[in-house]
Amino acid sequence: MSEKLLELKNITMKFGGVTALSEVNLHVSKGEIAALIGPNGAGKTTVFNVVTGVYKPTSGEVNFVGQSVVGKKRYQVTKMGIARTFQNIRLFGESTALENVVTGADVHSKSGVVGAIFGTPRSRREEAAALERGMELLEFMGLKHRAGQLGKNLPYGDQRRLEIARALATNPQLLLLDEPAAGFNPAEKVALAATIRKIRDAGYTVLLIEHDMSLIMDISDRVAVLDFGQKIADDVPKVVQNDPRVIEAYLGAPADAS
Amino acid sequence: MADKKNRYNIRDHAATYWENSPKWRRVSMSIAFIAFFYALPFLNNPLVNTPGSDFQSVLFYPVGMYVLMAIGLNIVVGKSGLLDLGYVAFFAIGAYTMAILGTHTALNFWEILPIGIALSMVAGVLLGTPTLRLRGDYLAIVTLGFGEIVRIVAVNIEAIGGPRGIAGIPTPPDLFKAKFTILDPKPYYWVLLTFTLLVIWMVRRMAARRPGRAWDAIRQDDDVAQLMGVNTLKYKVWAFVLGAAVAGAGGVLYASQILSIVPDQFNLNVSILILACVVFGGIGNLWGVILGAALLAFTPERIRFLSQPRILVFGIALVVMMNLRPDGILPKKKREHFDPNWKSVEESGEGEIK
Repeated sequence: MSEKLLELKNITMKFGGVTALSEVNLHVSKGEIAALIGPNGAGKTTVFNVVTGVYKPTSGEVNFVGQSVVGKKRYQVTKMGIARTFQNIRLFGESTALENVVTGADVHSKSGVVGAIFGTPRSRREEAAALERGMELLEFMGLKHRAGQLGKNLPYGDQRRLEIARALATNPQLLLLDEPAAGFNPAEKVALAATIRKIRDAGYTVLLIEHDMSLIMDISDRVAVLDFGQKIADDVPKVVQNDPRVIEAYLGAPADAS
Repeated sequence: MADKKNRYNIRDHAATYWENSPKWRRVSMSIAFIAFFYALPFLNNPLVNTPGSDFQSVLFYPVGMYVLMAIGLNIVVGKSGLLDLGYVAFFAIGAYTMAILGTHTALNFWEILPIGIALSMVAGVLLGTPTLRLRGDYLAIVTLGFGEIVRIVAVNIEAIGGPRGIAGIPTPPDLFKAKFTILDPKPYYWVLLTFTLLVIWMVRRMAARRPGRAWDAIRQDDDVAQLMGVNTLKYKVWAFVLGAAVAGAGGVLYASQILSIVPDQFNLNVSILILACVVFGGIGNLWGVILGAALLAFTPERIRFLSQPRILVFGIALVVMMNLRPDGILPKKKREHFDPNWKSVEESGEGEIK
């Protein structure tokens, strides 16, 4: 049942003398919503950067549907089916919302510069398909009315949603969300939880980094906890919530423990 | 802020008028516009006249040539955000191809043209593939070096005339009834205008489709573009190669008109001046760049009667302009659509709207 989509084996990532990740083992199963939590600086975003090919791990393996990701170019990783959003929103602000999404949808087009100049039938077909897919995704994320507006002019929440739409446009098997609820009010968080469930139900697998515990406990099937670059827990939310090591990592050791 | 928004904006009104025009009106407007530029050499208006130099010659060089080159450089600098300070190198390669093949072989202008374009493109690939991994200032320095290397190589190879260059370059053969002679620049201008229109058409098509989106993404955030699946190196090299092709075509035509070339014509000043055209007109905006190049090329000729101080006057005019409109005459500005039922122009098969 639980087919492993993404698997990290003994990942160590060192930056000079700093060990950001040490011997991390992690997997994401197909069809689940997995969460990655941990205090600031624990190495969560580093995991995303290793998985998407931004960093090459010092040692260890990253496998995605049986293929190694290590050493692949970033755009190749995206093509393999991993897409992500960013902790600090990084939209193409000078492009319209639709263009942002269609840029992602272009990954699977085969026509390029020559096709565009001569307007080959394949280029026309792929352009039309990419635009249609872009519109569909904007509608899916509730942004259809924003299609013609510039990324930088959208309200904050819409920018976050647009980033998700852009990532989905690459048609990923695995969607990595880096703090999607950052800066959201409680009502928006509830709406986001529904959206993430909707994304999962549409057939995508989700791995998210989040600080909001109620959101995590609400939607995730499994929670992995990082602390100082090491995985200290990995289980269903209920168990993780009561794990003394996790509580210690977040709140510090009780004064009378030693 | 509020009154800025409500200010009457001639550009938005023009764009809206264009978007809402039926097809026949757009076609007839385009034809009238293009016809005007083909008829331009016959215009003898004291306002645009160039006392001190032949107006028809000025239209070909510098005005037309700068416009063509600026459009080419705009693909590299404006669309993809790659600062290229050695653009003149591709112009030189085109010109030298025409000069060498024209004087040593029986090939005529029309046969040499595709060879010149191809060689410029090859040079673009050779220079682009290793260097486009660099970013920003580093890329600018490498391209600056490349521009100088091409010129210095030409100075030092005796077989291609060394510093004396090449003379006696043949003119193109007659085309229809037009005769290409040193005395009549009109046919050259018409060929150049045809090139320019072709390039504009090509650029507009690309800008509205996948390459345009890829370049937009690269210019705005290279890292994110890669993570969204854009093969950034491939599209940067394409931008470089297309820019090179435009300059190469310009170079071939230029050499066939000027009849003799020397390496010092292809110095750093030309690269900088073309870049100034792009920035002055409005970096990234096709129409702005065209206007900027035309103005920058035309003004020094127009005020030639000022003789010695004209370069100073020109310089002051530039400084004043850059203070009044720091983003150029017609800055790149994407029109936003707030209509919830808006369908993209691309979807309806039209070109990009600025």
